[in-house]
Amino acid sequence: MFKKISVVFAFVMVLSLFLAACGQKNVDCTQEDVLCVGLVTDVGEVDDKSFNQSAWEGVQKAADELGAHVEYIETKDAKDYGTNIGLFAEKGYDVIVTVGFGLGDATREAAATHPDIDFIGVDQFQADTVANVAGLMFPEWKAGFQAGALAGMLTETKLLAGVYGTDLAPAVVAFAEGYEDGARYIDPAIEVITTYHPGGFASGFTDPEWGGATSKQAIEQGADVIFAAGGKTGNGGLIETANYPGVFCIGVDTDQWETVPEAHSCLVSSAMKLIVPGVFDLVKLSSEGAFPAGNYFGTVGLAPFHDFDSSISQEIKDKLAEIEAGLLDDTIKYEDFR
Amino acid sequence: MESVWRFLKSKQGITIIGFLVLVILVVVFYSISPNQTQAVLNSMIRHSTPLILGALCGVMCERSGIINIGIEGHMLLGAFMGYMVNVWTGSLVLAVAASMLTGSLMGLLLAYMSIKLKLDQVIGGTVINILALGLTGYFYTVGLTTSGKIMTFPLGPLADIPLIGPVLFNNGFITYAAIVLVFVLHFFLYRTPWGLRTRAIGEHPEAADTLGINVIRMRYMNVLIGGAIAGLAGGFLTLESVGSFERAMTNGRGFIALAVMIFGNWSPIGAWGAALLFGFATAMQTQLQFMGIDIPHQFVGMLPYVLTIVVVAGLVGRTHPPAAEGKVFEKE
Amino acid sequence: MASEPETKKTDFWRALWRSIGVPLGAIVLALLIGAVILLISGANPLLAYSALFQGAFGGASQISRTLEKATPLIFNGLAISLAFKAGMFNIGAQGQLVFGAIIAAFIGFAVKGLPWFVHAPLALICGAIAGALYGSIPGMLKAFTGASEVITTIMLNYVALNMTDWLVGGPWQDKTTEILLPRTPEILETARLDQGRLITSGLIFVILSLYLALMVYLFVKSHKKIRMAGKTTREFFTANLGSLLVALIPVILVGLYLLDLLQVGFLIAVGGAFFIWWLLERTTLGFEIRTVGANSNAARYAGINVALIMILTMVISGLLAGLGGAVETTGVDGRFEPAFNVGLGFDGITISLLGKTHPLGNIPAAILIGSMKAGSNTMQFEAGVPKEIVDVVQALMLFFVAADMIVRYVLRIKGKEEKVSLTSGWGQH
Repeated sequence: MFKKISVVFAFVMVLSLFLAACGQKNVDCTQEDVLCVGLVTDVGEVDDKSFNQSAWEGVQKAADELGAHVEYIETKDAKDYGTNIGLFAEKGYDVIVTVGFGLGDATREAAATHPDIDFIGVDQFQADTVANVAGLMFPEWKAGFQAGALAGMLTETKLLAGVYGTDLAPAVVAFAEGYEDGARYIDPAIEVITTYHPGGFASGFTDPEWGGATSKQAIEQGADVIFAAGGKTGNGGLIETANYPGVFCIGVDTDQWETVPEAHSCLVSSAMKLIVPGVFDLVKLSSEGAFPAGNYFGTVGLAPFHDFDSSISQEIKDKLAEIEAGLLDDTIKYEDFR
Repeated sequence: MESVWRFLKSKQGITIIGFLVLVILVVVFYSISPNQTQAVLNSMIRHSTPLILGALCGVMCERSGIINIGIEGHMLLGAFMGYMVNVWTGSLVLAVAASMLTGSLMGLLLAYMSIKLKLDQVIGGTVINILALGLTGYFYTVGLTTSGKIMTFPLGPLADIPLIGPVLFNNGFITYAAIVLVFVLHFFLYRTPWGLRTRAIGEHPEAADTLGINVIRMRYMNVLIGGAIAGLAGGFLTLESVGSFERAMTNGRGFIALAVMIFGNWSPIGAWGAALLFGFATAMQTQLQFMGIDIPHQFVGMLPYVLTIVVVAGLVGRTHPPAAEGKVFEKE
Repeated sequence: MASEPETKKTDFWRALWRSIGVPLGAIVLALLIGAVILLISGANPLLAYSALFQGAFGGASQISRTLEKATPLIFNGLAISLAFKAGMFNIGAQGQLVFGAIIAAFIGFAVKGLPWFVHAPLALICGAIAGALYGSIPGMLKAFTGASEVITTIMLNYVALNMTDWLVGGPWQDKTTEILLPRTPEILETARLDQGRLITSGLIFVILSLYLALMVYLFVKSHKKIRMAGKTTREFFTANLGSLLVALIPVILVGLYLLDLLQVGFLIAVGGAFFIWWLLERTTLGFEIRTVGANSNAARYAGINVALIMILTMVISGLLAGLGGAVETTGVDGRFEPAFNVGLGFDGITISLLGKTHPLGNIPAAILIGSMKAGSNTMQFEAGVPKEIVDVVQALMLFFVAADMIVRYVLRIKGKEEKVSLTSGWGQH
């Protein structure tokens, strides 16, 4: 038995050595002419069909268009934010993207110890400006507002529902408030029923079954547009809504037409935070030496209607365009609704 | 008069009274707001399904003397394999079979660890839980699409009965299977020789052994069946209710199922009652949020848990686990 | 099992091999199977494991981070181990931990104007008491109504989660930032555990010297006795291997602390482990706890107040978990953020089982798991391996440590199997 184990062990060793020979990455990020971009996710995976993934796509775009060497680390434990950023910093990366408000403090600390590295903090509000940190912020309220307005014009039952991840995340609350305000802006008589996942960060974003069951519960009481915002929890809500003909669903963060194909039969649009171009622009600015420190506001908006494009009247489209303009020039603003 | 009063104070009496009160409440609410009532009850059934399936797995294992705290792991791996087979073959039948098979394989592993290797059964279950989390996380890749999920299947005229029809008789296959399984298992456990033997090896395996029951083989078999049921619970998540897989998507339902099983005092129908109560409380906390009541939703979110504690402490009290549970059986 | 008779003359190295061979073998076997999985999925195990090791022990900061991660794990492992000893399964360590953590944070940011040697201990004590109170709930429910602690602790975990979520999003939220984040304000400097490092270092140095002197004295004394009985020095060391190793632990720890590789929290955790070991093995209460755990009916006949022991066990268990949370908040996090404490309590179950529920066994188990947690980031970064492989390896380690007959068979380690029995079924009373 011992012998057999040794043989297996030896075999594994040899094979690994073989693999090691051909699997070496030979990029030296400390060199001047090599642009290296690292990404640290919030707790979760880089393929979460949500904001981690969008940020990573933005970084990958930099790889394609700027020839950057890119790499990511998925954070498993919130205590590791600093360490994970440090792994990139020690390798001499030029730009480090950190995703999520949770990494805000760790990012600023790292920025202080590594003044030669540019940091991009997605969803990290900068109260004061640090020369090498840009907080990529999004006015989620506006995206939610447009989604609410669209929903308000689509609904026949005058009852809308929002199925959200935890309200501990400021962005989720901003989406939810915007959705409600947008619907009321169209018709004050519209009722919006709102639910947040009760599981906090432990399960608030990773519970598709809860999202599905909650959406169903809302639809059965007459809600006919479901806004599902909350990572995988929200995705569950979208897929569930697809079972009900005549009920629309609205996705969040990215154009979820691409990420949740199961929901094609209801997904009329998504309240997007354009993270991909936001991250890419900042990386590009950094590589050109024009890094904008402080808060950098990305754009938000509705995703294309895809298959629903023909069934949405020109009247609705015009109204949405008008609202978008109003949001842009601040004739519609958050304070008016509070 | 005296005897009626005594009956009402007995356990069955309380159960019957409670049941009647519930029926009256439901009817009253239904007459006030039919849509909401129906939605809440539907939601209750849906929330309770993975819990009761998980709890039935627990009943199967623990009644035959094997503690199973690995229900969460069975569910997660069952959900994952069901999903993967659905992606690969596009056949929902095969997918359901795969999730059950995976669950029973995990059951086999648990049985092997606790019967053959004589490992402490809590360790065995924990190994399965961590293993499932790791394996599914490691091998899961995004971007896979399935050919669909199990659709609801109204049971003919039964589904047209107001309230009861849509709630009980307009569900997917696995939900029906769960409800049927509750009664089938209950019947088998208390009314058949197999059930008697199962309970015997859970209470007193040495005595069962002297009576000629093959304790080890029965334990293997029951844990395998139990594992398959828990795998089905996972299949419910990926194949019937959600339709896709996400890492760690069971989100502690296996542990709640464990609580539900103990709550139901290791009997299938009891566990179903507990699962329904939990499902109802979960649906209610969503409903209360919908109604926009003016207290922080975290307090509403505590509802299912606090209710369970109150019921367990106040009404159920002492539960009676199988006596030989967790103990290694050594054949003389 | 080998049938040859035990030889009288036991060699030092063989004794050492027997005591650490099984856990070592379990680790190697688990890593080996993990390597096979890595190979199947096209990754390079050597690269992955060396990165894992680098990330955990590759340098001073890595070691310090490993120990930092091990600290709350020790506390939680202890909490769960102690409950196991009384025949109870405390799945609620997570809830007790977050309660301890948030109360410690509250004392840390809300109480002002205290000197550090009052403030920091106060935060720790309050956190520990919060955990103890929270742990007493399932204990009392079990003792008075018979409600199974498995149910109540699972449910109380969720209640704690909701409570703390509400607190950090409401009354105790940090209102100083422009965009409100779900977290408490930062705790004051005076409540942080690394306060007064110089003074504590000096104090510890004095205590260490005294300790060393005492140990040397004791060993010389017993050595003399042995020599008089006609045994060799070598035999003396072989016979006392266990206690020698144990005696060395504090020395190593203090050394690490003085080298700045170690937080005070870790020292407290190790102190806690020794305390629980002492409590269980050397006190009446410990004896009663173990008796209740072994057979509660017999305990009742023997005149032990079973209900009281159950409550006390859960109180101490909760105290440990709460203290773990408090240490984490005041020593590492600096404030309470809900996302920071997810899953720590559940890891405690693994730690406790890996340490075979022995209080001191929790320490190496926690360091092992802590090192894998600490190293998994580097592994993912350097080798591109998904971090979940660490979970798989952990599960396998737990399996092999528990199934020591497999390891003994493979590695030909003699000696009798040590069966751990944690529960004799639950819900017993």
